[in-house]
Amino acid sequence: MSIKTFRGGAHPSERKDRSQHAPIEKVSSVPQVVIPVNQHFGAPIQPLIKVGDFVRLGQKIADAEGRMTVPIHASIAGVVKKIEPRMQSNNIEGLCIVIEPKDTPEGESDREFMPPLDPFACRKEEALLRIREAGIIGMGGAGFPAHVKLAPTKPISLVIANAAECEPYLTIDERTLLEMPDKIVDGLSIVMKIINASEGIIAIEENKKYTIPLVQKAIEENPQVRAGMKIGIQVLKTKYPQGGEKMLITAITGRQVPSGGLPMDVGCVVSNVGTLCAIADAFREGKPLIDRGFTVTGEACKTPKNIIAPVGTVVADLAKSGVIDIDEESLSKVIFGGPMMGVAVPSTEIPVQKNTSGVLLMSVEEALRFEEKTCIRCSRCIRACPMKISPALLAIAIESGNYGEAEKIGLQDCIECGACSFVCPAHRYLVQRFRVGKQVLRALKQKEAQNVR
Amino acid sequence: MSDKKIILSSSPHTFSPVDTPRIMLSVVIALVPAAAYGIYLYGLAALGVILTSITAAVLSEFLFRKLIKASTTVGDFSAVVSGLLLALVLPPATPLWMVALGAVFAIVVAKEFFGGLGANPFNPALIGRAFLLMSFPAAITSWNMPKGLALPADAVSTATPLNLIKQGNSLADVAKYFGASDIGAFYRQLFIGYRPGTIGESSILLVLLGGLFLLAIGVIQWIVPVSVLASTFVFSWLLGMDPVFSLLTGGIAFGAFFMATDYATRPLTEKGQALYGIGIGLIAVLIRKFGGYPEGVTYAILIMNVLTPFLNKLRTKKYGFLPPPKPVKPSKEATK
Repeated sequence: MSIKTFRGGAHPSERKDRSQHAPIEKVSSVPQVVIPVNQHFGAPIQPLIKVGDFVRLGQKIADAEGRMTVPIHASIAGVVKKIEPRMQSNNIEGLCIVIEPKDTPEGESDREFMPPLDPFACRKEEALLRIREAGIIGMGGAGFPAHVKLAPTKPISLVIANAAECEPYLTIDERTLLEMPDKIVDGLSIVMKIINASEGIIAIEENKKYTIPLVQKAIEENPQVRAGMKIGIQVLKTKYPQGGEKMLITAITGRQVPSGGLPMDVGCVVSNVGTLCAIADAFREGKPLIDRGFTVTGEACKTPKNIIAPVGTVVADLAKSGVIDIDEESLSKVIFGGPMMGVAVPSTEIPVQKNTSGVLLMSVEEALRFEEKTCIRCSRCIRACPMKISPALLAIAIESGNYGEAEKIGLQDCIECGACSFVCPAHRYLVQRFRVGKQVLRALKQKEAQNVR
Repeated sequence: MSDKKIILSSSPHTFSPVDTPRIMLSVVIALVPAAAYGIYLYGLAALGVILTSITAAVLSEFLFRKLIKASTTVGDFSAVVSGLLLALVLPPATPLWMVALGAVFAIVVAKEFFGGLGANPFNPALIGRAFLLMSFPAAITSWNMPKGLALPADAVSTATPLNLIKQGNSLADVAKYFGASDIGAFYRQLFIGYRPGTIGESSILLVLLGGLFLLAIGVIQWIVPVSVLASTFVFSWLLGMDPVFSLLTGGIAFGAFFMATDYATRPLTEKGQALYGIGIGLIAVLIRKFGGYPEGVTYAILIMNVLTPFLNKLRTKKYGFLPPPKPVKPSKEATK
């Protein structure tokens, strides 16, 4: 099998060995869950319950009308203690529902799942509604509503199951490939059925090549594949950001998602393997997205491991209940996500969300800080940029306030992968400037549009 | 726990270990073989030039930045690189005060006046050399005889192969002058570097060795050196000069790998780098063929440095680039 890749990229040290051999551990008893109401990308939703209410596992606790909305479900059975703004993993305070576990009143069920639904016998609308009602969003990071992604307005020929996991440290997708390949294949086949795609590909980076025989076996045993559905595996070069949607599509198909466009413009849909598993669960068990797998690692985590925990689990609670052991002395940085694109948060008192793929607890030695030096114009960033937007030149345009030039170079095309800042020998704040620059450019454009009116 | 020590910063949270001082030191390492060979050929005089140049470069950067109350930057080792590069493109007999003056001019005028590392439009080492060449033409064009090289008894002064070609001698005569039995043997002699020249340029073998080392560790990319060498070869051949001799002599190989690849003064984009390299080769050949100087690599690179900001406009097409929609011609639509 040929190994494919994209142009550019970087090679951060992987550090996956810390947690890659730890089987996924299921955490079911937590002292509380703090569930952010708005975890998806789209219109805000409202709580459906009040403080003091008893909620069952899987009960819908927040929702709203609208296409770009996704409901939230109780991830444990218990009593609603508080509904108040709390710090979330995106470093913004947002409305959260706090639930503490409590035994179910006599004779009542403690769970409220939906009835199973056969994805291959139901209509497309029913299937999409099921995915929405299950509260499924993209679990790779962006949190885009799955039912919107799976209702593309253009014909789709290829569905890519993203198991590239190019972020260093993170191993949850790798463990999912090893431990539940059948569920991934099932989820992929369901998605292919819903959007009527002719081909499915499970994309795996070379460093996880050893999982291929297991995945291959799962594919061969899948009833849909036996009935003629086409699902394959593609090995990709281990390189960051190989798991980026656009890089994945280009590596596999050679097509480039047009600037400002979506994967569907080139006939592709990309879905993280975690999302595919959640979709399979939503149909087979009627289970909404109430828990997720993620990696807890970093030098300040004495017990690097992969766990499945309820959505809303507070990281500090995992330590208190002995699931993980945090080296408080050396803990210097808490990151939700991986080291390349993850968000640094102010404490461990932050809940895990539907799109949390990892919690990285960095030690003092790991959390390096550098003084920004002058650009030596080495062009490493230009070679690393997977979007080919010449970061060094873009930074010069932004620093000189020339947003017209910045837009022309491709500021809005930046996927904020951070490969430029990673490779910079002068530790320039490149992607950091582009993040701010994007906001400034958007504001300038809005102002312009208002002036025209 | 105290939350005070938790660091907040925008991603990425991990960084490549390759930083500026490491890059500069690797360039120094790459230059060691050529420099050592220069010292072997010309003895302590060459060593003196090298040490004087580096010391003057580092000191002048340190003192100048102190004077203007800017942060000290000698720790990035870029002044060491500039000083060493300048020494290697000077004749071994250059008076040491001249060497020091050239190094100070290179660092203070060509680099610090423009804002320091990365902001200089011209290659500092070459500005230093050009400054000395214009100020003291005789000293910078008088050559020492490499150790043990025997010349015909009637040779009045030492000349580089390019000097002799400029004086109208044929390549066969030049080969004979340097004691080579035929042109093939002369090529080999030039490749090894047994001829008069600047301290670091003579041995193509050792220059290549250093250049390949930098290519292998990713400090430089192939586009600039390859385009410089290829364009030199092609344009010499087109102008009726011996293309192999053109590559093996003068400073073209040294310039291609160590001067033209200077980060701050070469274009950042791949297309820009290719044109830049081609331009250097062309101008160097034109100066050798038609100019007043026997060698033109210094000026070729400096002239192309001027064009770098314009060549930077030649960016690689961004990912997913869509050409702007062509304006629809209403008349054509109407007739249809």
